[in-house]
Amino acid sequence: MKQRDRKKTRYILSLGLLLTGSLIFFLCNVGIGSVSISFRELAGCFTGAETDSTVRNIVMDLRMPRALAAMILGGALALSGYLLQTFFHNPIAGPFVLGISSGAKLVVALVMVFLLGRAVKISSFALILAAFAGAMLSMGFVLLLSGKVNNMSMLIISGVMIGYICSAVTDFVVTFADDADIVNLHNWSKGSFSGISWSNVRVMAAVVFVTFVVIFFLSKPISAYELGEAYAGNLGVNVRLLRGLLVVLSSILSACIVAFAGPVSFVGVAVPHLVKSLFGTAKPVLMIPACFLGGGAFCLFCDLIARTMFAPTELSISTVTAVFGAPVVLWVMAGRRKERA
Amino acid sequence: MEKVYFSAQKMCVGYEGKPLIKEINIDIKRGEILTLIGPNGAGKSTILKSIARQLSLIGGAVYLDGKNTALMGRDELAKKMSVVFTDKIKTEMMTCEDVVATGRYPYTGKFGILSKDDFGVVEEAMELVHVTEIKNQDFTKISDGQKQRVMLARAICQEPEIILLDEPTSFLDVKYKLEFLSVLMEMRKRMGLTVIMSLHELELAARVSDKVMCVKGEYIDKCGPPEEIFQEDYLIRLFDISPRLWQEEMCRSVISSVCRKY
Repeated sequence: MKQRDRKKTRYILSLGLLLTGSLIFFLCNVGIGSVSISFRELAGCFTGAETDSTVRNIVMDLRMPRALAAMILGGALALSGYLLQTFFHNPIAGPFVLGISSGAKLVVALVMVFLLGRAVKISSFALILAAFAGAMLSMGFVLLLSGKVNNMSMLIISGVMIGYICSAVTDFVVTFADDADIVNLHNWSKGSFSGISWSNVRVMAAVVFVTFVVIFFLSKPISAYELGEAYAGNLGVNVRLLRGLLVVLSSILSACIVAFAGPVSFVGVAVPHLVKSLFGTAKPVLMIPACFLGGGAFCLFCDLIARTMFAPTELSISTVTAVFGAPVVLWVMAGRRKERA
Repeated sequence: MEKVYFSAQKMCVGYEGKPLIKEINIDIKRGEILTLIGPNGAGKSTILKSIARQLSLIGGAVYLDGKNTALMGRDELAKKMSVVFTDKIKTEMMTCEDVVATGRYPYTGKFGILSKDDFGVVEEAMELVHVTEIKNQDFTKISDGQKQRVMLARAICQEPEIILLDEPTSFLDVKYKLEFLSVLMEMRKRMGLTVIMSLHELELAARVSDKVMCVKGEYIDKCGPPEEIFQEDYLIRLFDISPRLWQEEMCRSVISSVCRKY
């Protein structure tokens, strides 16, 4: 009984830590930047007391949507990574590593170039759809290959190769696009949270929220699935349906990120592991909200660095997430070796 | 009690529509133990997986208490039948207690949170197979034998009426083999648990089974009470023991010790 209470305390403390972390990073993101804004001015913007319209514009129209996007998309990314790791029983699976992000990127780039060339404005929703199509395409390839090679490292290698192929084609498309498109595409194809509008935020919040709720209600079958398909089936899980749902839901989440921020690396792999170590468990009912919060906090932190480290030059978000995320992946792989011995 | 509890009629099993073993007929009563024996690769696991609905039947039907399992809901079947298979399972940050607790799945609510009663059942199951002392250890860090016992506890806390076991004793040392069998005997006595398992240890199969089914080739070779099966000349034929091997003193004594009881 005591052991169980101790665990419960740890869960609550960890959740509290993630919540406060997200909040602090969120405030930092809104407050810190090339124009410094005092805490009082910040509070004024939220309560409507701030009268300086420049300050209000910077906070409410630039930094707020960007910070919200970093939080929502970061959460989505971490959650998508968690689902893929569950699906493949592979601790280093993730939307970027498996080439799903790159597939989404390719289709979005094609759609953008095609439509922008005809001066058609693309809605956020259409972008997500395009990214989803691309994500499913890559996922299809990965699944096809993973059926043939039932091996953890081969799966990752196939994913990385698919990623390279998609990136190469994307680069090709970008190179031959019109000048005006290139500026847009170039920033986006490297991954960035800049230039996100409130209407973008509304769409992504709606899509991610609905997906999150569905995933949360799947936490019970996911927990059974962690023991492998045979036991999940025996416990009464409709394994085929669950597998299908995992693929679709993780692709929706990856698509959302790519549509708005381009490909962002390593968050999907690193955050679930950090969160699992923090909680000392992998129970889906806890991990699903925790990964979401953790991913949000992680991306807020990385975006803060990307914006401010070498201001006014902005780093691409993947540059920062890779610096903090890649070592985690190495750590995970080293840890697994030990376990098997 | 005399009614047939589990029955398979003209069951045909195999992979991807290709039949491996045909015309399997089984009839066992509540609380009976049926053991599948036979050479490696004969299809014992395939039969067990087909009964558990992990593989779809190619022909025939399986009945539990007179009800066709193909028509049962997933939850309904999960509350009646539990399994211990040989598949290696990879867990992540799960203690042995967590693994055992997954057996409560069919009984918990929407989010799978265990109630006090559920924890009571988990505790009891762990005590029954003597894994209580390792309950807080990580599942990946225990030995194969311990894993096997944890998986048995998991199957027990699913509170099944029938349990399917695929080579459940392969990693156990003598003490735990005996203890394992005594647990099975205890459970059949206490709650009329029906058992279908595959075993390689013939001497164990001879001691505990009510019925023995010999799997070899395209059809079931023989099925009957142990005294019918464990005859020297029949075992020689079942396992293709060559005359040269039979010449050896050691081989003869192993086989005859299995058959001595009868």
